[in-house]
Amino acid sequence: MSNLPTLLTSLSSIPGPSGFEHDVARRAVELMRPLTDEACVDGFGNACGILRGTQPGALRIVIAAHLDEIGFIATGVEQGFLRFSTIGSVDPRMLPGREVTVMTDPPIPGVITCLPPHVLSEEEMDLAFPREDLFIDVGFSHEETVTRIPVGTPAVYRAGCFPLGEDLFCGKAMDDRACFCAGLLALEMLQNAALPHDVVLLGTTREETNFGGAKTGTFALDPDVCLALDVTHAETPDGGPKNTDCVLGGGPAVGYGPNMTPRIRDALIAAANAENIDIQREVMPGKSYTDAWEMQVSREGIPTAILSLPTRYMHTPMETISLSDLRAMADLLVAFLKQPHGEEVAE
Amino acid sequence: MIELIKELCAVPGVSSFEDEIRARIEREIRPHASDVRTDAVGNLIAFKRGAKRADHPLMITAHMDEVGFIVKKIDDKGFVRFAPVGGIDRRTVIGKKVLIGKHRIPGAIGLRAYHLVSAKEEKIVPDIADMYIDIGAADQKQAQSLVSIGDEIVFDSDFVEFGDGMIKAKALDDRIGCAAMIHLIQKELPIDCAFVFTAQEETGARGAFGATFSIRPRIALVLEGTTAADVPSVKGHRRVTCAGEGPVLGVMDRGAIYDRDLFERLRHLADNRGIPWQTKRFIAGGTDAQAIQTTAGGVQVAAISVPVRYIHTSSSVASIRDCHHMVELAEAFIHSVAEDPGAKSE
Repeated sequence: MSNLPTLLTSLSSIPGPSGFEHDVARRAVELMRPLTDEACVDGFGNACGILRGTQPGALRIVIAAHLDEIGFIATGVEQGFLRFSTIGSVDPRMLPGREVTVMTDPPIPGVITCLPPHVLSEEEMDLAFPREDLFIDVGFSHEETVTRIPVGTPAVYRAGCFPLGEDLFCGKAMDDRACFCAGLLALEMLQNAALPHDVVLLGTTREETNFGGAKTGTFALDPDVCLALDVTHAETPDGGPKNTDCVLGGGPAVGYGPNMTPRIRDALIAAANAENIDIQREVMPGKSYTDAWEMQVSREGIPTAILSLPTRYMHTPMETISLSDLRAMADLLVAFLKQPHGEEVAE
Repeated sequence: MIELIKELCAVPGVSSFEDEIRARIEREIRPHASDVRTDAVGNLIAFKRGAKRADHPLMITAHMDEVGFIVKKIDDKGFVRFAPVGGIDRRTVIGKKVLIGKHRIPGAIGLRAYHLVSAKEEKIVPDIADMYIDIGAADQKQAQSLVSIGDEIVFDSDFVEFGDGMIKAKALDDRIGCAAMIHLIQKELPIDCAFVFTAQEETGARGAFGATFSIRPRIALVLEGTTAADVPSVKGHRRVTCAGEGPVLGVMDRGAIYDRDLFERLRHLADNRGIPWQTKRFIAGGTDAQAIQTTAGGVQVAAISVPVRYIHTSSSVASIRDCHHMVELAEAFIHSVAEDPGAKSE
């Protein structure tokens, strides 16, 4: 089986903010090709790998994990520094002194500016730097920046991956490439299994902005069942979500709420119970902010469920996950995919 | 010189935890100095004979310590609570990678996810006392087996050359000065010089007092890194200095008024050699000069500083040209003092 930290590091390292996922999608297809009967990048840029089942009349189950990450986009040049907007939601407090990779060819490293304390009043010292005061320092003169970095050039956090303790793993774009890795692990484990379904692993694009990849990809694949894999918030010392108790290391979280079709959700739980896989429960009372939101209402509507990977510090360059949760997510996928689901779909 | 800055920046050396950086520098300078010793506070002092003997050697200093943090507490869930060592703006530490203690245990300074933050909360920066470092420990006991109260915490940040001759690293303040001194000590010198790699500058120029007391110079030259705020959202004098526009000649800062004659000497030396220079447009910061100047009977002190953007963060930025110009000017200064000490007291 693949070495998980190596796989995570390799996928995390590829810059791919929403709308600019080309390189990461290409790599995703390379990784899926030996594990599937067919793998390609679709018309919208999604990476799609199909492993056909061994039985005729198989259902088609699509497992989606998004390949895009949050990032930045250049909106202008001032005194040689890049003015920028964010792609997806980014806490402005993460930005001062932050290193980024500007996605030119070859890439250009940059540092997001911060203001020295002497410039500010006592009261201002307690406040976050206003977003509009921050720029990306690329170290060039004005003319050179204008020439080298056209407006519209994207950028991502410049951050490597590293283990934290024995089980945790930290890096950028764990949201959601870690979940894509869970899909890859599941495909590996299904290689010589009697598979009752056609299984599609769909690496989606633009999840962080408008879920466009999930919407178009699901339409094209016309699945019988959809499963979205995404990250969810795990507890941290500064609170985390007050009304959940999701923790790192407690196993993947099964979603409850209107975005989840109960019978598919229950089939996931039954599969976990049958294989003694620890799971947590996560309630999403409305919009789930995952690919499942679009998948559920694709075509005439598709039975859909969400499986989440607990994560600390989402949308930062140090998104932290548990490797054992990730492996358990893959195990649960395998358990779910090995079972027949004709009845749940027919209901 | 740039390769040397890169190597020095990679070594941890939070104030009072200077053992590693001192050993690294000592390895570089030992073959070139006639006497090398470490004093009680941890300063590394290297004496080098010059062509001309001096009763009071010319003292040249750069501080080898860097800003960082120290472990204050390991909480009941296994997260590390910490305090800054030296002047660190807490707004610049959120989400940064750090290394803790001698075993360099990796950690990340956490902040709850943006999705869980209110519009009001995102404008407020948590107090340092409320921040925490995640080291991936399952519980307090496991955390205690990895790190201890009192351990030093250093930024983990690589060295990058980027843009038009710019460099990015942690601790450019003042490993640039250290690299400049290592470069100078390898040369044939015209006069006896004492090179001091000071300890604990960042906690109040604590090392420089003792070193100056034991060396008893008449003239001292401080090689430093200083604030550059030449970014688009800062205007006019508040920019303090501009990276790439030449080394900064010390006139006055929050700790010292520099010797006017030595300032004029540096200015003329720079002008005669076509070396660009600037002065601070805003009185901010301080250097070892404040300690050196007032030690024993008093010392005439001058400073040459390289402008550093985002100083005291994990990602400080400086111009390579400024570094080279600092060394060139410092060397010219040594020769000038050899020819004419011009010391005010004999």
